[in-house]
Amino acid sequence: MHTYELDEQTVFNSGHNACPGCGEALAVRYVLNTMGPNTIGVVPPSCIAIICGPQPYSSMRIPVYQTTLEASAASAAGISRALKRQGKHDVNVLAMAGDGGTYDIGFQALSGAAERNEDMVYVCLDNEGYMNTGAQKSSSTPYLAVTSSTPGGKPSDKKDITEIMAAHRIPYVATATVGYPDDLARKVAKARDMEGMRFIVVLTPCLDGWGVADDGAVRVSRLAVDTGFFPLYEVEDGERYTINHGPKGIPVERYLEQQKRYRHLDADQIKEIQTGVDHRWSLLQARAESMARPVVCD
Amino acid sequence: MSEVTRKPTTGPAAASPGEVPTIWTTGWTDVFNTGTWRAATPIHEWRPSPCHADCPIGNTIPGWIADIREGAYQEAWLSLVETNPFPSVTGRVCHHPCEGHCNREVIEAVVGINGLEHFLGDRALEEGWALPAPAESQGKRVAVVGGGPAGLSCAYHLRRLGYEVTIYEAREELGGLLRYGIPEYRLAAGVVDAEIARLLDMGIEVRLNAGLADRAALESLEAEYDAVFLAVGAQQAKILRHLEGGAGAGRVLDGLEYLRRCTEGVARDLGERMTVIGGGSAAMDVARSARRLGHQVSVVALESRGAMPAQPEEIEQALEEGVALFDGAMVAAVEAGADGGLTLKCVKVTLDLGAPAGELRPVPVEGGEFALAADVIVTAIGQDPDLAPFNGAFGDGSSDGSSVDGATGGFVECAVLVADPVTLATTRAGVFAGGDVASTNRFVSEAIGAGRRAAYSIAEYLSHPDACIPERPKLEDSVNRTEVNSFYFEFSERRERVVAPAAERLQAFAETISVYSTEDANAEAGRCMSCGFCVQCDNCFVFCPDMAVQKDPSAAGAEGVAPGASECASEGAPPAGAAVRVVAAVPCVGAPADSGPFYFVLDQYCKGCGLCVTECPRGAVRLEQVNL
Repeated sequence: MHTYELDEQTVFNSGHNACPGCGEALAVRYVLNTMGPNTIGVVPPSCIAIICGPQPYSSMRIPVYQTTLEASAASAAGISRALKRQGKHDVNVLAMAGDGGTYDIGFQALSGAAERNEDMVYVCLDNEGYMNTGAQKSSSTPYLAVTSSTPGGKPSDKKDITEIMAAHRIPYVATATVGYPDDLARKVAKARDMEGMRFIVVLTPCLDGWGVADDGAVRVSRLAVDTGFFPLYEVEDGERYTINHGPKGIPVERYLEQQKRYRHLDADQIKEIQTGVDHRWSLLQARAESMARPVVCD
Repeated sequence: MSEVTRKPTTGPAAASPGEVPTIWTTGWTDVFNTGTWRAATPIHEWRPSPCHADCPIGNTIPGWIADIREGAYQEAWLSLVETNPFPSVTGRVCHHPCEGHCNREVIEAVVGINGLEHFLGDRALEEGWALPAPAESQGKRVAVVGGGPAGLSCAYHLRRLGYEVTIYEAREELGGLLRYGIPEYRLAAGVVDAEIARLLDMGIEVRLNAGLADRAALESLEAEYDAVFLAVGAQQAKILRHLEGGAGAGRVLDGLEYLRRCTEGVARDLGERMTVIGGGSAAMDVARSARRLGHQVSVVALESRGAMPAQPEEIEQALEEGVALFDGAMVAAVEAGADGGLTLKCVKVTLDLGAPAGELRPVPVEGGEFALAADVIVTAIGQDPDLAPFNGAFGDGSSDGSSVDGATGGFVECAVLVADPVTLATTRAGVFAGGDVASTNRFVSEAIGAGRRAAYSIAEYLSHPDACIPERPKLEDSVNRTEVNSFYFEFSERRERVVAPAAERLQAFAETISVYSTEDANAEAGRCMSCGFCVQCDNCFVFCPDMAVQKDPSAAGAEGVAPGASECASEGAPPAGAAVRVVAAVPCVGAPADSGPFYFVLDQYCKGCGLCVTECPRGAVRLEQVNL
């Protein structure tokens, strides 16, 4: 029997404003309770800001700075540098942004911070769209998924933020999801105990935006991994790949059929998505293998 | 910013706007009552597993399997004997309906519950574990008539409840069908002896060679004892009249008689070729015993192989041992054969599906005639109880068992003594009946279950302060396949007990099936999904986005209810009307009410999403709509 053992500290509070069964609230729980109370949070406008609480209340028992949508990484970098200036080297700085604030609007600040290897943990809670404002598409929305701004299904592919961040050659990049809470908590703990820029993208099903049942966040999240749609892996220093959980031979249709945003798909489109998933999985495996080889100079 | 964390948690009123900028956090969200959003409430509830619902003895199977998983074999056995004092016997001969609806089948195969019972039963005999001591004396005496599985089980439970029990057994030894009706290769006499001896050690009086002769004897028992339990079994073999006369005269034997001759070692001189008529376990016992004694054996059964009442593995092993099976057939007539033997005129049949329940109505298949040569015919088509001694003592409710005529009419199941299906009370006050004498459900474990039920019913009748009749959970109320979460269970092959090869089996009457090794037992116990039976895996706690599922027992408060404290809750139902928001994690029979941590749901925060219900691997959390 599989069981989870999480080493949680009490940072995230009950009484927050996430929807019932929210996948993102679960992710916030694992992230915050693993980071621990000795942490300063930075949150841009997003569902995370809603979950954090209506002012002057907070669901996070740590100091949290709610910054602008463009500036999560810049704000976190400023706080991190200021702490060091004060001689405080033992305080974690955690930026938690959505996919809009990471893939799109906050991207240049993020890329800049990564290039400077700023000392922070940056967690992107990726629900594949602007779910907080009515489920518009973001550059994280997957191919053919319906959003309020792509009513016929998104015509372009999901941006591969993991590889983009890995290409910055920062110390740590990882993917995680709430259906694998032990894997998620382990990655957060690992990132917390490292230095420099650490980036984790967490797939967090949005029940309303994706059209998933109230009790379905964990099931859907797990299917994303088990079908190979969202493999869980880590990249250290831009080249050391570790694949944690990949496809288990379950067709991607099992994942898609759980979500209303894919309800319009016909058999050919499902096949097309399956082909894309298979292709990306083989690329990931090849990359993991080739990157692991030592560099040989003539 | 460090200022913020020092602020009181009681909300904005605690902070004066003059001191703190209004954009600063001054309180925590835990003052909000997000529980008001809820339309449904999760309830942690012990629910019956399908194996429990299917067990004729009412055994809380996932409980003792959990004990095996933890290596606590004696605790496991003690939990098992809460209901069944004969695990070593039933571990060998039970028809194990518990494995019929096991949810583990969604992963790979059902759990080997019968094998685990066998393992525990034999371990107990090896280690000499004693049965639990009887409760304080109730100062009342009960007579149990019949020392077979039903009578012994009843005596055991009555003794445990604090009654003085005397068993009246017609034969020279206790055991009934276990001793006289099941061949040694399936159930060694030593096992029966050992489990009965352990039971008698509890202080049960036994009178052997003391059957109930007539109605006057029953009346004197009624006068002498506070209650009487009749479990005299069914020992009159049904006969097939159309085979008895003519050529068949003196060549037709009944199965019980044959098995008795086997134990006496005088069965060989009946002739070389034997035809056994019947499709149940008794027919297989006769056929396989005869093979061991060197007969050529054919079996003629009315039912097709899949519908035969014998266990599939019994049929399979009989075939391996060289028994020729003619299923879906009947013997229509017997004639003298050319070689001094008999020629059996047989015909293939189908069964009339419109026949009343309990009746087999064969319809001959045109052109399906065939013949079998035999020297002796053994009929094993069921048994009737001998109701003659009661001589109308129970009014019209019972009638004399009757023979059946296969050539002309239907094969009607036998007449039994009529007892209330719930209380097992007969029409005579203080007289109860169970087991084969009062039931056509002829399985060892059904009899043991009836004995247990009768004991509690008698205790109720005798105004025992605590006892009440255990209610058997219904299969439809048990955890079903859609309620277990298969993600949490990994493929693990079912362990099988080793069966000796057929050639070896035919050499002797030694037991053919071996007991699990400790390693196999542990592995098999590890496969149990523990349906409906919380094992504190923490999934409900881990997957709550609102931290509304908590597990600190001190916070459970007055809302907590822990069923299982009384015997009445032993079969599942929490006390009627109880507010079951909080349930003990291990509320099985005999478990202390304070064992293990509690999970409980914080009303104030739970939004009713149902994640804890869906992610419970075993269906131990359920969602209930909130009535507004």
